[in-house]
Amino acid sequence: MTTMTGLGRAGARLLGGAALAVALSFGGATGMAEAKDKFVFANSSAYDTLDPHAIFDVGRVASRLNLYDGLMRWLDNPPVLEPWLAESYTISDDGLTYTFVLREGATFHDGSAIEASDVVYSIERILALKKGAFSLFADVIEPGSTKAPDARTVVFTLTKPSAIFLATVPEIHVVNEELVRANEVDGDWGGAWLSQNGAGSGSFELTRYDPAIGFQAKRFEDHFMGWGEKYFDEIEFRTVVEINSRVLGLLNGDFHGTDGYLPQDQVKRLRESDEVAVDEQESMRIFYSIIHNGREPFDDVNLRKAISYAFDYNAFIEDILSGSVARNPVPLPNNIWGAPAGVEGYTYDLEKAKEYLAKVEGEIPEITLGALAGYGQTEQAAALLQNGLNKIGVKTKIVAEPWAVASAKMRDEQQMYDLLFLWRSTYYADPNNWVGEMYACDQVGARNNSWYCDPEVDKLLMAARVETDQDKRAAAYEAAAKKVMDDAAGVFVYNTKWFGPFNKSVKGVRFSPIGNGQEMRWAYFE
Amino acid sequence: MEGVRYFFAKLAQDRTALFGALLIIGLVLVAIMAPVLATHPDDVSEFHPANRLQGPSLDNFFGTDRMGSDVYSRLLFGARITITIAVIAIGVSVLIGVPIGLIAGYYRNWVSDALMRISDIFLAVPQIVLAIAIAQTLGPSIENVILALSATYWPFWARLVYAETRSALNETYVEASIALGASPLRVMMLHVLPNISSSIIVRTTIGMGGTILTAAALGFLGLGPPAPSPEWGRTIAESREFLPEAWWYATAPGIAIFLVVMGFNLLGDGLRDILDPRMRRSGAAAGARDE
Amino acid sequence: MRTLVLIVNRLLWFVPTLIGLMVITFTISHIIPADPVAFFAGENATPEQIAALRAEYGFDQPIHVQLWRYFIGVLQGDFGVSLYTQRPIADDLVSRLPATMELTIMAVLVSAVLGIPLGVIAAVYRNSPLDHVLRILTVSGLAIASFWLAILFQLFFAMELGWTPLQGRIDGWGPDKITGFFLIDSVLGDDWESFWSALSHMILPVATLAFPAMATIVRFTRAGVLDAINSNYVLYEQAMGFPRRVIVWKFVLRNALIGTVTQIGLIFGILIAGAVVVEAVFDWPGLGLYAVQSILNSDYNAIMGFTLVSGAIFIVVNLLVDIAHGLIDPRAAG
Repeated sequence: MTTMTGLGRAGARLLGGAALAVALSFGGATGMAEAKDKFVFANSSAYDTLDPHAIFDVGRVASRLNLYDGLMRWLDNPPVLEPWLAESYTISDDGLTYTFVLREGATFHDGSAIEASDVVYSIERILALKKGAFSLFADVIEPGSTKAPDARTVVFTLTKPSAIFLATVPEIHVVNEELVRANEVDGDWGGAWLSQNGAGSGSFELTRYDPAIGFQAKRFEDHFMGWGEKYFDEIEFRTVVEINSRVLGLLNGDFHGTDGYLPQDQVKRLRESDEVAVDEQESMRIFYSIIHNGREPFDDVNLRKAISYAFDYNAFIEDILSGSVARNPVPLPNNIWGAPAGVEGYTYDLEKAKEYLAKVEGEIPEITLGALAGYGQTEQAAALLQNGLNKIGVKTKIVAEPWAVASAKMRDEQQMYDLLFLWRSTYYADPNNWVGEMYACDQVGARNNSWYCDPEVDKLLMAARVETDQDKRAAAYEAAAKKVMDDAAGVFVYNTKWFGPFNKSVKGVRFSPIGNGQEMRWAYFE
Repeated sequence: MEGVRYFFAKLAQDRTALFGALLIIGLVLVAIMAPVLATHPDDVSEFHPANRLQGPSLDNFFGTDRMGSDVYSRLLFGARITITIAVIAIGVSVLIGVPIGLIAGYYRNWVSDALMRISDIFLAVPQIVLAIAIAQTLGPSIENVILALSATYWPFWARLVYAETRSALNETYVEASIALGASPLRVMMLHVLPNISSSIIVRTTIGMGGTILTAAALGFLGLGPPAPSPEWGRTIAESREFLPEAWWYATAPGIAIFLVVMGFNLLGDGLRDILDPRMRRSGAAAGARDE
Repeated sequence: MRTLVLIVNRLLWFVPTLIGLMVITFTISHIIPADPVAFFAGENATPEQIAALRAEYGFDQPIHVQLWRYFIGVLQGDFGVSLYTQRPIADDLVSRLPATMELTIMAVLVSAVLGIPLGVIAAVYRNSPLDHVLRILTVSGLAIASFWLAILFQLFFAMELGWTPLQGRIDGWGPDKITGFFLIDSVLGDDWESFWSALSHMILPVATLAFPAMATIVRFTRAGVLDAINSNYVLYEQAMGFPRRVIVWKFVLRNALIGTVTQIGLIFGILIAGAVVVEAVFDWPGLGLYAVQSILNSDYNAIMGFTLVSGAIFIVVNLLVDIAHGLIDPRAAG
């Protein structure tokens, strides 16, 4: 599907004429068009709320990307930031003022025009609700500072220069101010109403929603980006928690797609089926273990190196995950700019582990290895590390707790586990999303859960956060990532591959690590 | 002595109870002998990822799991966890529930009312819900499962002992000894407790089965001891994402739970028939809820 | 009269019991080390964001203040807002109650319809091979772990044979909502596609739930019938020359059923407890699944709401059973 990037739309148009005729005659003749053209996706997370400003996770990204639009949008893999609702933008020389010009004639689902004031309302709503993607903007935008000089111009004034602001603009999903205000209750910014209803302009318009089932939406014909020759008339995203149900539904044709992070054993099952095609892409979701650098004896680089040499990367990647992921030795996905190329990283080498362990002064207490309950992979990784550490005489215990518990402990220096296996997903495709947040001193206790604060690394990261020249930024991130790896600040394991299973009749799925292939406006049934 | 001999003679006649007793003895033996009986005793913490998810074979009787460890060997060590949890949790429940029941049954004042009300409150929600909440609060581990089960199961013994004590107090000889000025402690320990001990034994035996099921359910929901513990409920939960291919993964621990719980239920039924003919009528082996 | 005293007594204790339940669950849920607000705020939340939310939900207040506020809220029918779903707990519970009720009622029906005749048969033909088979069945029913049975059913009937759906409550969006019970709503709405879909989704979870309940009913019915057969008045009727079949069905069963009715409370308890795990395996969108999810998400308000509602249901059911029992058999009351 990578070839779809530039050629895709043109290619689709070329093929379009004939296919459209077929589709129309089929639909007209049998009256089955509606049923036939509904795309059903089985999602592992529940769509508890549809409010685009209340959630900011990859599991529920489909409701945001299909029902709402932002000024900019991340597309394709590797992700490219493209103008979307904005037709152009300018950045002032001091890097503080961002001016976006909206497309002409863009409308919401109810037919009203999308105006600059709607964008202003949306960012104010994010800042006021303090939910979802709020944290991306909290430091750089003051409430009330965003202006709409005319109906098509939005001006953001930042409190300080930020090289990543543009990368986060896609998360400002634009809601219909008039509609939301009409449904406001007790100054809740329409929160209760918007959690169950749509007020956007997205490629699809919400038709049905049940938090226990999912949502259904129909194509919005007047979408400002226009449409290709082929498309789905209707999409449905259902919550199906159990992996086996998703796989079974896909095999028997009840579902046309499901998430691309299934266990390899299930992917194998799907590949053997005639019904399903599995699309493979290297994503940007790294799997690693946090090490609590701020706690004795983990503040000793030798112990951290010993731990890094005691994990059997090869067995984990090749055997347990059947080679379905790519070794990723640094705190940046291999495939993003700024990731240092050709880095070897640590290997499973118990001799070296012992060597470094010998340099550690004093007793090593029992180490707590954290894992996320319900995420078998984190438990298996912890068990494997426990196995390796056992062999060099280091005692460990594994604690698997639900994400709710783990995410709270991660913010507390005392309660944080010694180590914790987890993923870091793509919220925006900029190196700052990974190393820039995970190891910056100003994020300690917030998004830096390692309590790692190295002056040299921090200097690089801070410079890269305001620098606008991408080459200079890339160099800084390369150096920072290498230094973090040399310091063994965490155990960096792999970068995820996405195995998007879709019914063979589904074509045109456009994958991006941010949308996980769940933005459906380009896809269609063959 | 005569009573003991009578008891065993009776038990030997009741084939199903004997079968239950044998299952339990088997479980205890397996748990004790696990290191000897296991073909891969290190597999509790030793993994062979290259050998994962292999079906049953001569080398791995019940196949291998997601880490390539031997399911059979892990199953044997899982028996230790099951016994530990059930014995301690039930022991604690008895130690809390019986004194509370005795006190509440012996005295007829607001304290006894209050104690019974508190028991009733605990009984007003399914045990598993309270146990899940407590286990989640404390974090997943063997100790916390034991704590959660003890905290939720004691009211059953309190209720039972309360009712039995009340009826025992009506017995003539108990009334007589109270009239003769025996201290409450003496009456409870020497007259009431021996009189009701058979009910407690029956209830405890049957309660073991229910507790093992609840403990396994907690393990299944991820609230039991964490990976790589060979706890049975957790093993079944782990296996789910590898179904239907790795069917052997969940089969062995499921059967193990089944046999052990059945052992306790059968023995409990048999004991009731022998020790406590009055209870026979209610036939409540359902474990949980006979007040 | 004794029945009336009993009912009044039970009613008087209804509210204190619920308050006690509230205090217990409140204590348990509020010492959870997890910070539900931090969880809810998301991976990227700032400390400022979390503090603001904590204040918004009142979690910055001392525990007794929170309890008092919660108590006042419940009195007004307000169970608070779920941190996870962002909806009022009362709405969540009301929308999920029918799913659980439909499941448990079906399981009670199935277990009673199968269990009572089997129990009578086992008693009438006691010690026959049939009785032994039934005994093995009932012993199994009480010893099998419901989550394992559920997985076996799924493995065999859904994955291997493909006869039933693997999980869920219905395909599509379900019938138009009237009562919330899919079977009833689809009949009322003349939506037979939904009816069959709902029914086929129900088979495995109902079977899983009903198995232990049926085992209990068989045991009680068997014991009750045996007792009745051996009682003096049946011996008398026999002596009077009534045919055996008439005696069994007319005299014996009626007396034995009194015992079974009282066991419905017991069975209901087994079923509600069973539903928690069974719903989790079958992804059945009822109260049990809601409880498990809320606990895993440390969703305080939802946990408390569920506990109160299930406690209330339980107390009410037991009360109804006591009343029924008192009416059928006045001697037994008290």
